[in-house]
Parts: sequence; structure tokens; C-alpha cells
Amino acid sequence: MARNVYSVKQVNAYIKNMFAQDYMLNCIYVKGEVSNLKYHTSGHIYFSLKDESGTIACVMFAGQRGGLSFRMCAGQQVIVLGSVAVYERNGAYQLYAREIRLDGEGVLYERFQKLKQELEDMGMFAPEYKKPVPAFAGRVGIVTAPTGAAVRDIMNIARRRNPYVQLVLYPAQVQGEGAKESIVRGIRLLDRAGVDVIIAGRGGGSIEDLWAFNEEEVARAIFDCETPVISAVGHETDTTIADFVADLRAPTPSAAAELAVYEYGKLAQAIREYQVHMSRMVLQKLELNRMRLMSYETKLKYLHPQNLLRDYRQRAAECEDDLRLLMEGALGEAKHRLSLYVEIMKGLSPLKKLNQGYSYVKAGDGGALKSIRQTKPGDELLVYVTDGVISAAVTDKKEEQRL
Amino acid sequence: MSGKEKESGKEQTLKEIFAQLDEVIEGMEQEDVSLEETFELYHKGMDMLKLCNDKIDKVEKKMLLLDDEGEEHEFET
Repeated sequence: MARNVYSVKQVNAYIKNMFAQDYMLNCIYVKGEVSNLKYHTSGHIYFSLKDESGTIACVMFAGQRGGLSFRMCAGQQVIVLGSVAVYERNGAYQLYAREIRLDGEGVLYERFQKLKQELEDMGMFAPEYKKPVPAFAGRVGIVTAPTGAAVRDIMNIARRRNPYVQLVLYPAQVQGEGAKESIVRGIRLLDRAGVDVIIAGRGGGSIEDLWAFNEEEVARAIFDCETPVISAVGHETDTTIADFVADLRAPTPSAAAELAVYEYGKLAQAIREYQVHMSRMVLQKLELNRMRLMSYETKLKYLHPQNLLRDYRQRAAECEDDLRLLMEGALGEAKHRLSLYVEIMKGLSPLKKLNQGYSYVKAGDGGALKSIRQTKPGDELLVYVTDGVISAAVTDKKEEQRL
Repeated sequence: MSGKEKESGKEQTLKEIFAQLDEVIEGMEQEDVSLEETFELYHKGMDMLKLCNDKIDKVEKKMLLLDDEGEEHEFET
């Protein structure tokens, strides 16, 4: 067994040396949540950084306190710059902090929330201040970087929708030092340049990249702008102060172009539709009037005096018929009665009796001979028989007693 | 900017024209409107549509660049 045996000191020293020679461990940024925080009376700060996987012990010596500009609290997300080294006394490694700062996103988020609250309290997001975006903008101002996806997207979409719309770009610096001043200047210049609507925005990026659109100066420039402003910052999910204060928020620069630039094709179509609609209305009206005319014509025909005359004529004819019928009836009746009388008369006629051998004798002086006393021999008598008259002379007369 | 009045005026007019056109159509749709009135409205509408068309200048535009002095220049991509 030719094994070497080392002392604790040797091992710890060996490991310490390994750490010390590691380039990365000598200058490393570590981020995590502060816990086990202890401000020691000596001025040193002891704490741990933890994340969901574990913890690492940290110390910031009093001499390094210049690297900490805020009051550290447990639970904060921080980024620590330091070196990882071995503490030989308990054989453990720890992070020797030289600089501690709040994790960027956390800080920015806090600033964002604070400013948002302030501006909201001032009423800068109030709907009554929102200006309507014109439906038919002729000139569209753009505040964004002259290179990059945002301006290209806007140009492409604007050209596709309506190549007759004039785009005016203020080439702004949208991130880094001077970005907010540049954006503010762009908004103000375009406001004076006589555009109908302004798109202010940029393509996607980190929260730091988008930060200029979270600055109060930019928010105020948008709020004070007389021209309606459409905000178009980053992607759908990015929300900036500019979005709240803008008259209209577009999720992306492309969407902003669609909101600002009306589709020429649709306008032309609307014009055509109006034309068709109006022509149809006129034809309809004409047809309606023609129908009305026809109905009047029918009515008029119906009321023509000729019709009235025909009616009267018909009634007159009917009256005539009635009269004739009545007259014929009355005549028939009379004829009937006459024939009846004729029959009766026939029955009563003496001529009939002559048929049976009787005859009618008239004296010469004209009256019917009813008695011998009306005549004397030598008188002439007329004897009527059925077929003629006989003249006779009276030769004798003799009275007879009749029963 | 000479364009300012012209352009903003145009925007308003286009919108106004469409509102008026809607009124014209509404008027034409009334039942008791006479044929003469219908023709009158039709001519009015057609004039407005012509105005609409005339309002849109059909010249393709190149993007302009606004400098810090407020001057507009051609933009080269």
C-alpha cells in the first residue's frame, strides 16, 4: 500500500488553490434571491443566494460595501459580482461579493409600475383624452429606427394596402443613451409636419431595449401630441407606458400600419357599392312609380263616364224589359177576359137559337114582335133565320092562351 | 407645410362625404320620397362619389424622411 496520506490543511489548501486558479470563478456574476441575510456589526454582510435548486453562501466585507448602493433585503432578486473561493476553516466555498445590484428586470419592473401608477393617477390614460385615429389618413408619420424590421414591416404593409398614402419617417434612435430624447423630438417634429396620424414604435427586444417607451418624457410627448398617436412597441406581449398613453395601441408595428393606413381597394369598392346601391334605388323608384301609374290607369278607366253611361244604358234596357213584360201581362189578361166574355156572349146569342129552327120576327116598324097586338093583317113582317131574312105578310092573327 | 391644410382637409372631407352619402341613400330609401327627389338625390350622390375619387390623388408615394429641422427628404432604402 503505497498510498499518500494528506493533512486537512493540505487538502483544503489544494482545493483553495484550484479555485484561485480558475479564471471564471475569480470574476463571476451570480444571480439569485437573497436569504439568511445578516448585517454584521463589523460592517460585513453575510447572506445566501438561492434559487429553486439550492443555495450558495455569500459574504461582502466591509471594505467592499461601496459595491452595494441599496439596502439589501431578504427576498430580493440580486446579481452579485464576486469570486468564489474556499474558506479553509470549515472547508466550505463561498462567494466573496464585490458588487451587488438588484436584478435588472426587477428594478425596471418596479420603475414601470411606479410610473404607470403616477401617470394613471394624473389621468393621462383616460379614455376622454384619446383622439380618434382618422379612417382615411393621407399622411402617416412614423417614429422608429430607419433600419430594422419595424420600418420595413410598416413600409411593406402600407404599400400593399395603399400606395397613395404618404409615409413620413423620423429616423429615431429607439434604444440606448439618447433614445427617449430622439423619440420625443420625432413625435414633436411630426406633430408639426402635418401628418394625420403618427406611429411610434420599434420591433421586439429585451425589456431594456424597449425601455425608452417606458420613459415619462416619451409618455408626455405622446400625450401632448395634437396628432393621434398609435403605439407599436415590440411584440404582442410587450406592454409599455407608451401603449397606455397612446391614442391607440397596436400590438406590433405591422398591426400599427394596418390601423393607420386604410385599404385603397376597400375604399374603391365602397365607392362602387354606393354607386350600385344608388342606381338600384333609382330603378326601384322608377318601377314603383310605374306600378303606381298603372294602378291609377286602371282606376281611371274604371271611373270613365263611358262606364257610367253603359251602366245607365243597361239599367234603361232592364227597365224597358220590365215594362214590356208588365204590359204584355196586362194585355194577356185582358185578352183572356175578352175571350171569356165572347164565350159567354156566344152562349147568350139568339142566333144560336135560330140554328135550331127558331127565328126572330121583327115588325115593320122595327121592334121585336112579342105579341099579336103589335100587328094586324096586311102588315109586313121580317123573319130572321140563320142564313137570311124573309119578308112575310100577316094574313091572320088569333089569340091563344099560353100556360 | 403646405400639405397640412390640404391633407387634413381631405381626411375630413372623405369622411364627411361618406356620412353624406349614407344620408343620401337613407333619403332614397324613404318610401314617400318622390321620383324627382330620388333623381335629385341620385345626382347629388354621384357628384359626391366623383368628389371622393378626385380627393384621392393616385400618385404612388415614396417614403419621406423628416430631419431635425423639420425638412422632408427622399428616403433611400
